[in-house]
Amino acid sequence: MVKKRSWLLLLTFLLTLGLLAACGGQEQTGGETEQEEPQEEETTQPDKKVVVGAMDTAPNGQFNPIFYTDAYEANIIGLVFESLIARDENLEFQPELAESWEINEDHTSVTFKLREGITWHDGEPFTADDVVFTYKALSDPEYIAAGGVRTNYVARLVGFQEYQNGETDEFPGVVALDDYTVQFNYAEPNVLALADAAFPIIPEHIFGDVPVSEIPEHEASLKPGKVIGTGPFKFVDMIEGEQYILEKNENYWKGEPKLDSFVWRVVNANVILGMLETGELDFVGDPSGISPDDYELVSAMDHVEIIEEADFGYQILGFVHAFRTEEDINNGVINPDNFVPNEKLQDKRVRQAIAYAIDREGLIDALLKGHGEVVNSPIAKQWWVYDDQNPTQYKQDVEKAKSLLEEAGYVDVDGDGFVETPDGEPYELTMAYPLGNPIREQSAPIIQDMIQKVGIKVNLLQPMEFGAYSEQLEVNTDWDLYLLGWSLGTTDPDPSPLWSADAAYNYGRWNNPEADELAKKAITPPDAFDRDFRKEVYSDWQVMFQDDLPALLLYARNSIWAYNKRITGVDHLPWSLLNDVHEWDVTE
Amino acid sequence: MTKYIIRRLLVFFPMLFALTIIVFTLLKLAPGDPYSQIMDPNIDASVFEEMRKEQGLDDPIHKQYFRWVTSVVQGDFGESFRHKGRTVAELIWSRLPNTFYLGAFSVFITIIVALPIGIYSARNPYSLFDYAATGFGFFGLAVPNFLFGVVAIYLFAIKLGWFPAQGSVSQPGLAGFDLFLAKLHHLFLPGITLGLSSTAAYMRYMRSEVLSVLGSDYIRTARAKGLTERTVLYKHTLRNALIPIITLLGFEIGTLLSGAVITENVFKFPGIGTLYIESIGARDYPVIMAITLMLGFFTLLGNLIADILYAIVDPRIRYD
Amino acid sequence: MQPEQQMNLNQDPKINVPGEAKEKGISPFRMAFRRFLKNKAAVVSIFVLAIIILLCLCAPLLTDYDPIEYDLLKIDQKPSSEHILGTDNSGRDVFSRLLYGGRISIIIGFSAMFFTLVIGVTLGAIAGYYGGKVDNIIMRITDIFMILPFLVLVLVIVAILEKVTIQIFVTIIALTSWPSLTRIVRGSFLSLREREFVLGARAIGASDFRIIFRHFIPNAIGPIVVNATLMVATYIVIESGLSFIGFGIPEPTPTWGNMLSSALSVRVLQYHPEQWVPPGLMILLTVLCINFIGDGLRDAFDPKSNKR
Repeated sequence: MVKKRSWLLLLTFLLTLGLLAACGGQEQTGGETEQEEPQEEETTQPDKKVVVGAMDTAPNGQFNPIFYTDAYEANIIGLVFESLIARDENLEFQPELAESWEINEDHTSVTFKLREGITWHDGEPFTADDVVFTYKALSDPEYIAAGGVRTNYVARLVGFQEYQNGETDEFPGVVALDDYTVQFNYAEPNVLALADAAFPIIPEHIFGDVPVSEIPEHEASLKPGKVIGTGPFKFVDMIEGEQYILEKNENYWKGEPKLDSFVWRVVNANVILGMLETGELDFVGDPSGISPDDYELVSAMDHVEIIEEADFGYQILGFVHAFRTEEDINNGVINPDNFVPNEKLQDKRVRQAIAYAIDREGLIDALLKGHGEVVNSPIAKQWWVYDDQNPTQYKQDVEKAKSLLEEAGYVDVDGDGFVETPDGEPYELTMAYPLGNPIREQSAPIIQDMIQKVGIKVNLLQPMEFGAYSEQLEVNTDWDLYLLGWSLGTTDPDPSPLWSADAAYNYGRWNNPEADELAKKAITPPDAFDRDFRKEVYSDWQVMFQDDLPALLLYARNSIWAYNKRITGVDHLPWSLLNDVHEWDVTE
Repeated sequence: MTKYIIRRLLVFFPMLFALTIIVFTLLKLAPGDPYSQIMDPNIDASVFEEMRKEQGLDDPIHKQYFRWVTSVVQGDFGESFRHKGRTVAELIWSRLPNTFYLGAFSVFITIIVALPIGIYSARNPYSLFDYAATGFGFFGLAVPNFLFGVVAIYLFAIKLGWFPAQGSVSQPGLAGFDLFLAKLHHLFLPGITLGLSSTAAYMRYMRSEVLSVLGSDYIRTARAKGLTERTVLYKHTLRNALIPIITLLGFEIGTLLSGAVITENVFKFPGIGTLYIESIGARDYPVIMAITLMLGFFTLLGNLIADILYAIVDPRIRYD
Repeated sequence: MQPEQQMNLNQDPKINVPGEAKEKGISPFRMAFRRFLKNKAAVVSIFVLAIIILLCLCAPLLTDYDPIEYDLLKIDQKPSSEHILGTDNSGRDVFSRLLYGGRISIIIGFSAMFFTLVIGVTLGAIAGYYGGKVDNIIMRITDIFMILPFLVLVLVIVAILEKVTIQIFVTIIALTSWPSLTRIVRGSFLSLREREFVLGARAIGASDFRIIFRHFIPNAIGPIVVNATLMVATYIVIESGLSFIGFGIPEPTPTWGNMLSSALSVRVLQYHPEQWVPPGLMILLTVLCINFIGDGLRDAFDPKSNKR
């Protein structure tokens, strides 16, 4: 009975040695189950012009611009909805739904003249009422409770507080002067006067009678065919979690789109490359993009065009300057006066030593295959205020790092290869990082090692799942270094939402009153309306940032997008492949 | 026996209840909440504080649990945090059919592949076919299914183009036979991936069952009576060999649902498994709880059925 | 994703009673051992497995590379005399990671098996031996643990503890996978309870403890040993599966699972087989060997069965 076992063993090993062989066997058994001829997929009729784009994650399914939160939903919303004005490649505002505007002298009010003759996808005319309605909805007392997060766009409008508190039904912040004229009124002179008015407009005739708390579950927020915008494409169909299908809006005011249909497919990041090669996918844009590892392979595909743009964000190695008190954490308060300083990183020279310890070019060359840039300011380089000259550049210099440490009194007393504090106590920094970004995950142990090479011992925590990490960032009391990435909006160069002492996202609790003063000065009217003034002040701020180091900016990873050359008319923006999509066309 | 079944049914719901308490508490103990994921410099962070209050996420755990349980008892599973504006029930219903098809297809493959091969192997033991089948069986049990899935996509979808690489259907608006074919076409790779290990297991199991039945006394008697080999095989052998296999299927329900998690992830197959993983990452409590409850329910049910069948099959086991 | 994914194989309710030894004077163990030795596939598997384990244990002798030492200048290198299996996407030596990773994968498999065994057999024995109320309570607890979602448990524990160490990982696996073993042991014991020799032992006043250890365990040892063996294989596969969906032992600690799952993109599949084939093959080979051994053991303990 067992005589032939060894044969069996040999056979199985042979079978498994090559997966190919094994898969062949699988195929055979598969064949027995069902004579299933690979069905030619019924793709849409050949005369239709269709492009297929990839997303690596499914949108959550909320297609109302006032309630969506994820970047995948934004891919669809961006084609369906439009705003009054939008930024061009130089980050200057250009007319969209509004054909012109006028800002009053003291920058408290902007009057938009709307384009006439624009219709919603369902044929209703677009008017000033839609604009008023959109901004009223954002200010509605129920808005936040219903899950809305975009109050930033309305917070500066006149009467926002009163309206949001439910004290009044009047909303003087945005008023329709006539059908095609709408006026935005701000409580104070506002440098963001235009940026605030750039929110996508939703149709009043659809949502007008719906209580704001019920808008998220309204069919016009969820269901293809029911979502109504003014954009070049109509969202007509979906297979939830798989495909999102848009069709051209024949009456698009900029002209009928040349494509008939625009399809988003949800595809596992592992196979995007393969499908791009076979032509199943036509383009890969944000947020998935092409990974730097794959760049060479994609560029070797003859039928694919690559676009590389500097990112609007960066990865940081954060220095924890201080912690919040437990009481403040419990109360959800951020009060810089109560910050408890982190003794381990109080000395600026130590932070600078760490900055000098890190070979940022090396990280970029190795992990990003060169598809990234060293940045020395937390303001995106595309902005006119970006200063790449004056802030300290921190080119890796191990000797300098060591001498800075020595100067600060951190020397290796006991000869273990790591420095001790000036008091001779053991010195060790705790470093944390999250999961979710493979390149960042790769970089963590490398950064640890680089810091250790200048003599500072680093205890690298195991990576945390992002949800847990973000909470820990706020409440931990023992981290010294943290990794994080920011992608910046195109709203305004103002860095204070991330770096001012009372900003929630300033996880290192950097508290530098002078810097805060500068940041404030840069957006305080009336000087702030002078671009040169702003530029000058921000330059000082950037120098201060690099000197005081609330964080070391590690790198800005380039966005890499790719599209099949059969698509013509691609005219991308620095932050998005999707621009003037109505001009896209396909040639076979 | 009836008494036993009744008693098992009586503890059925208390057990689900216990399960939800444990999972709910654990979930709430874990750091992070639905809002901690969103980090956007364009969003004022204080908005989230307000929402937490609004949603009662700052309340003590037992209060939150009580709120959850009272609404579930009334048949309301709440609204998803992540999929804004959508109820949990609707969300699950939209995903469940896909997982069901996937599970059904993989069980179908398992049965249609494993049983005939198992029987054939048992009738021709130690033949070349038998060795090949056994070799395949061992392979099926040893290969991690995500590896199999990814390699299968690479070979059969990308390189050979026989099957679609991702998703559950080619385009919307299909109906009737076209829809059926499209679904089948899309189910093929994930179905095989999911069914691989159980196919292998059942094949070996079937083989040994049939072998041991064939060797038993009553089959010898049947043969001695002069019954044809066909009758012996179909009437006596298979019937007896299949019973234990059927009981095993009881356990499969829960396993299938949860086993689908990895397979669905590999194929971006929009079923319960992908929803579950995404919801856990996003701390979408109502969705996690609803799926947990569902998984628990089916697993318990499967166990109960299997236990009862056990007792029927093997009279030596007495439940008292 | 539940640890008992493959366990259905082993839920054979039938009890075989080799212990009623026909050959007097030879313990069932020795008989089994003799039969096992005749099974060539199993014996060869033991050797192969031993070689794999030995290689992993001797990792420091076989490679000079630190498995977590990165080298930015040597990322994604092809095999060379310097790096036998090339380097991975952080410039770490794949061969070294393979050996050190194997240590961890195997340790996880065996230690999780051990703890599962302890919990599962103890509870199963108590439930099956005493029956009645005790049985009922234990089985209901078993059912709860059986339906406890493994993923939620992993996630939550990972999140609370901030660190997935091997010990924690093993604990989680053991905590969620003992129920199926408990059911098997209990099943054997329940049917043994009614056997004449047990009734006899009871009649002459043997203590519960004695009956359990002298009569029950030896008689149920077959399924227990077989299951324990197969568990090791299952856990190694589970570790890799969890790595794939991001809930495994995190980097930079190498395991076969996370090596494999971090190397599964089209690019690596096509151009860097040296990164994914070795860990994949090691998992396959190890699991295969263990399954053969498990099968050999089953045959050895239960000569009547024709399973292989």
